[in-house]
Amino acid sequence: MEEDFELLAKFKKGDQQAFELLVRKYKTTVFNTIYSIMGNAQEADDTAQEVFLKVYTKADSFKGESSFSTWLYRITINRCVDELRRRKNKIISYETEFNQEEKLKLKDVLASKERDITEELRKNELQDIIQKAINSLPEKYRIIITLKEMEGLSYIEISQIMKISLAKVKIWLFRARQKLKGKLAFLYSQGE
Amino acid sequence: MSCKKFKILLSAYLDQEITQDEEKKLLNHLKTCLDCARELKYLKQMKRVFLLKERKEPQEFFETRLFARIKNKGKQPIRRVYFPVFRKSILVILIFFLLIVGLVNYKKFFYPRPTEVISDLLIDTQLEENFEEELLEIYYGPLG
Repeated sequence: MEEDFELLAKFKKGDQQAFELLVRKYKTTVFNTIYSIMGNAQEADDTAQEVFLKVYTKADSFKGESSFSTWLYRITINRCVDELRRRKNKIISYETEFNQEEKLKLKDVLASKERDITEELRKNELQDIIQKAINSLPEKYRIIITLKEMEGLSYIEISQIMKISLAKVKIWLFRARQKLKGKLAFLYSQGE
Repeated sequence: MSCKKFKILLSAYLDQEITQDEEKKLLNHLKTCLDCARELKYLKQMKRVFLLKERKEPQEFFETRLFARIKNKGKQPIRRVYFPVFRKSILVILIFFLLIVGLVNYKKFFYPRPTEVISDLLIDTQLEENFEEELLEIYYGPLG
């Protein structure tokens, strides 16, 4: 955290290399957060660029009231929300229904042993299946489940990023999981 | 505490975000409630699904592309940067203008001017005929 503040302070003084280091450090985090929320790698790449452009131009507005990563996540989430709303106007949507083959695949992987899972992980289809489950959620639940499950953030961090109360974080995560449970119900249909 | 409240707690329990007191109550409840115990099993299964999601890297030359964009942004004409600043002021002026126009028309609607009555008289066909006769007399002398 201190390191981020130092890098940002150096960048504000005109050190371009400090900004490059921040980009290198956070580019994967920003990209994966956007990819999880938007569900499209090309869009995620473009949007991640927009996020760092904003950091570059708005660095002076960061007063250090939160950690740099919280501020960066907030910019990222706001950008995602803008993009999702723009997409809604264009009526672009991604498929969110599982076919029979996908259901069986996910079930098999979850039933397999650890070493088999590592092998399965290399396959892109499994990643698509998980992404499809996230895509099926409404905007706010997609964001909160990404911050919790993909980024592993604490409830306090999530509440600061999304500017909601801790109680709301609890409720939204509960509801997001309930919706996902409905989507992934086929996982529980046998062998309970 | 109702089962629904315990289910909300279950979600937070899975994330290790509950107090010791809540955890104690929840674990006691799980001993007797099969439905909540099953729910915990489902949630753990779901958590495992997300653990399978691997992290991706952005596309090639991310930094190079970004710095090229930053360089280009600096070359953009200034008006594009400042336009959004004026957008709100333009909107306020437009609303103000529409309010004034509305107010003027509102008065016209309820208090019509007498000129409109005169214009009604002008389209009287008899008056128009008289006017034409007068004109002819001026140019060609008294008729008949």
